[in-house]
Amino acid sequence: MFLQIQGIKKSFGSGDSRVDVLKGLDLEIEKGEFCVLLGPSGSGKSTLLNIIGGIDSADEGKLIIDGECLAEMSEKKLSVYRRKHLGYIFQMYNLIPNLTVRENVEVGAYLSDQPLDVDELLHTLGIYEHQRKLPNQLSGGQQQRCAIGRAIVKNPDILLCDEPTGALDYNTSKEILRLIETVNQKYGNTIVMVTHNDAIKDMADRVVKLRDGMIRKNYRNEHKVSADELDW
Amino acid sequence: MKNPLRKRLPREIRSEFGKYIVIFLLMVATIGFVSGFLVADNSMLIAYQDGFEKYNIEDGNFRTADRIYRSQREDIEKLGITLYENYYIEATLDNESTMRFFKNREEINKVCLMKGELPKAAGEIAIDRMYADNNQLAVGDTITSGEHSWKITGLVALSDYSCLFQNNSDSMFDAVKFGVGVVTPEEFDTLNQDKLQYNYSWKYEQEPADEVEEKEISEDLMEEIGKIVSLESFVPRYTNQAITFTGEDMGGDKAMMIMLLYIIMVIMAFVFGITISNTIRKEAAVIGTLRASGYTRRELISHYMTLPVLVTLAGALAGNVLGYTVLKNVCAAMYYGSYSLPTYETVWNAEAFLLTTVIPVLIMLVVNFCVLRHKLRLSPLKFLRRDLSGKKQKRAMRLSPHIKIFSRFRLRVIFQNMSNYLVLFIGILFANLLLMFGLLLPSVLSHYQTEIQKNMLANYQYMLQVPMGAMTGSKLEELLNLLTFYAEVRTDNETAEKFSAYALNTLPGKYKSEEVLLYGVEKDSKYVTADLGDGVYISSAYADKFRIRPGDTITLKEKYEKDEYSFTVDGIYEYTAGLCIFMSRDKLNEAFDLEDDYYSGYFSDTPITDIRKKYIGSVVDLDALTKISRQLDVSMGSMMGMVNGFAIMIYMVLIYLLSKIIIEKNAQSISMVKILGYTNWEISRLYILSTTIVVVICLLVSLPVERAVMEVLFREMMLSSISGWITMWVDPMIYVQMFGAGLVTYAVVALLEFRKIKKVPMDEALKNVE
Repeated sequence: MFLQIQGIKKSFGSGDSRVDVLKGLDLEIEKGEFCVLLGPSGSGKSTLLNIIGGIDSADEGKLIIDGECLAEMSEKKLSVYRRKHLGYIFQMYNLIPNLTVRENVEVGAYLSDQPLDVDELLHTLGIYEHQRKLPNQLSGGQQQRCAIGRAIVKNPDILLCDEPTGALDYNTSKEILRLIETVNQKYGNTIVMVTHNDAIKDMADRVVKLRDGMIRKNYRNEHKVSADELDW
Repeated sequence: MKNPLRKRLPREIRSEFGKYIVIFLLMVATIGFVSGFLVADNSMLIAYQDGFEKYNIEDGNFRTADRIYRSQREDIEKLGITLYENYYIEATLDNESTMRFFKNREEINKVCLMKGELPKAAGEIAIDRMYADNNQLAVGDTITSGEHSWKITGLVALSDYSCLFQNNSDSMFDAVKFGVGVVTPEEFDTLNQDKLQYNYSWKYEQEPADEVEEKEISEDLMEEIGKIVSLESFVPRYTNQAITFTGEDMGGDKAMMIMLLYIIMVIMAFVFGITISNTIRKEAAVIGTLRASGYTRRELISHYMTLPVLVTLAGALAGNVLGYTVLKNVCAAMYYGSYSLPTYETVWNAEAFLLTTVIPVLIMLVVNFCVLRHKLRLSPLKFLRRDLSGKKQKRAMRLSPHIKIFSRFRLRVIFQNMSNYLVLFIGILFANLLLMFGLLLPSVLSHYQTEIQKNMLANYQYMLQVPMGAMTGSKLEELLNLLTFYAEVRTDNETAEKFSAYALNTLPGKYKSEEVLLYGVEKDSKYVTADLGDGVYISSAYADKFRIRPGDTITLKEKYEKDEYSFTVDGIYEYTAGLCIFMSRDKLNEAFDLEDDYYSGYFSDTPITDIRKKYIGSVVDLDALTKISRQLDVSMGSMMGMVNGFAIMIYMVLIYLLSKIIIEKNAQSISMVKILGYTNWEISRLYILSTTIVVVICLLVSLPVERAVMEVLFREMMLSSISGWITMWVDPMIYVQMFGAGLVTYAVVALLEFRKIKKVPMDEALKNVE
């Protein structure tokens, strides 16, 4: 199994104000799988994503990625791990404001020894013609495309997406989802996406529903549809 | 692949051009000035030091009452030295200054010709360049003394007068009222030979290895020469202020300049530090994303450090170019404005390069590295959440609801920006210290002048010159000479009052040995109105300088001998013009084995006209007493203007940068209150007024701190640079000026900031909000 989550627990605060966000999760994701983490606000889905991404740590439990246990890694090793294996996409695009679209993508490429071809990727993302623009000259959808480009240019093993369509309208959201789908198919990355949009589950290979820090449902989607067919 | 983040650097400079240009210019000005100073200082110091060999500067000189006979000369030279005649004659010129005439020197203390040519005929003279500058004299002009006049053929620097001390015991040199010049031997012979001073220079056959050995040798030499001829003065080179003062002063200035550079660099590094903190806060989400994507902390630290270090490096290099070209001359001119130095050649100074380039860059590296390391220690998640506080703020500080909302708002702005305001306070403190330094000198000098005038012992002090014959020869001869002398120096002036005087020196210690004049005054003196009785009073200048209190014991020594004398101080006498001790005439005469009715001069309120001039050694009047303040004013006056300008510049830069940061930090809130409907004026009252309040408080609080620091600095400066003493005195107007300058400067910056507030767009509040 490519990604194994075993008995992960996480809480915030202490004493009376202690909140258990994750209450012992077990989950396995295969290489190249498109996994959607669904759940209402406060269900712990973003916390789980951050733990997978190595930017947050679990209080208990194990996280094994491709045979490597994250809990045993020093901060330095974690940085290397993120650099080699992970790509991140956020709801807010977090682009560097004084770098052009192309340069923002190159910021991601710099981290990899064998990055994808930037020109080709920009074509794939549909922002080739905007490559010399600064982020503030782009629409929200275009900015998110650029952020996706930055994340996948280094061809990461895992692409972590935290509500990537949360700030976008219906049409743009579908465009972005289509793009993520293409990336998954073309480059074969494992994708873990956090969303509270129930409709998105239909395009995933695996659906994990969380509530109150626990996995309520975890199943493989046997009737996967393309992003084009989604509706909400 | 090169890190694409570096492409941000030129854009960052463009977008923050105002900030970077201000910092860059301040760096260029500071580093340029210090570099120029160090290069000029070093080049001139090298010229000065090389001068010892180049111009064959004496190892010392002594003066005798009479010409030395050949046999005496041979005896003296047997002591291991070579003697050279270096006679001089002084004349008072029509411009009321004193000119010391020498024959042109060809063997020792050679002359550096700086302009024109050396005199070749009678009636010609080459005078000291410095004296010429101070008295607006140029080649081709004529100087006159009564009926005698000389045409100036050249401007020169006499190697043994790099600093124009008329007498080695003078508190300060005087390049305004005292000058030196060389004439042809024929012309020298036409001068008033009654005033001929038999001055001899010597060179050791074998140079002493160090100053300790030089001291021992010269002390022995003085005793031995004293057995052969009667000495009127004996000045080994290392004690000769006219030769050594320049070199010592140059060294002292260098330390001060370097300190100034580093203080400014550290302040600028902190300004950068704060700027960077602000950038990190602004770019928190981007940093979080980059860290989450795998950028290491080190990569980000080096990225954010690049610009401050580059700006410093560029500033340092541009500053050095400016220093080597333009500012070097400005600094050299400052030295030429004080000292009679020979011409110099610019010497590449590796140490200056290191001090003005490598070290500022290092300071910038270290300070910024520490700030960045601290700021970037947080986890990527905290950056993504924009939670940069490090430790959790438990709750907002409680402010009484009775305080009006605007005041509470302002207080919150102040609390939120405490770290910025702390740097602002340090900046104000430093800038004001510089300003105070610039404003202080004129006020100290004018106060000194007033004080001297107020507590002068008498309008005139006549120091009589006892002929050498009265001191040497047979007992009978001595007595006869002394009787003639006393008969000749009797005066009918009713205001005249006798006193006896004796000069001793302080013991050498941390600071060099200084002359202290002991006055023996009449019991019921009308000039020294202290109840001396059998006790000893010291002048307030002496008490201030050495921090002596009544009850303390002071020990002094004979200048050229080893005998020591101790006195217990009974009181302080208000007299600021010199280091003096007052006692009764009987006590002084007894203490130094002088005749009971011995006296060495007169105090008088009116000029004494009935004593032959040859018996008057010197007259101490207001003009003579204010020599120090006059020379300091000439030497440092122009520099003070520069210091003031510089202080105001630093002040403006700091306030501009810091208030800009505060406005930027609050851009989102400003934008939000704009959306709510607040006017720009109201917003300015919230944000600019908060800074105004802090600036006013900083200005007021800094004043007593600066006063205390200045007192320490001033004391050290006076102790190490002048003989005698000038009391520090801060004119209350200086505080008003400092406060006013601070406020006006701030007002200019506040206006700029008001414009900035007007420009904050309303959509700022809607951006980057999760």
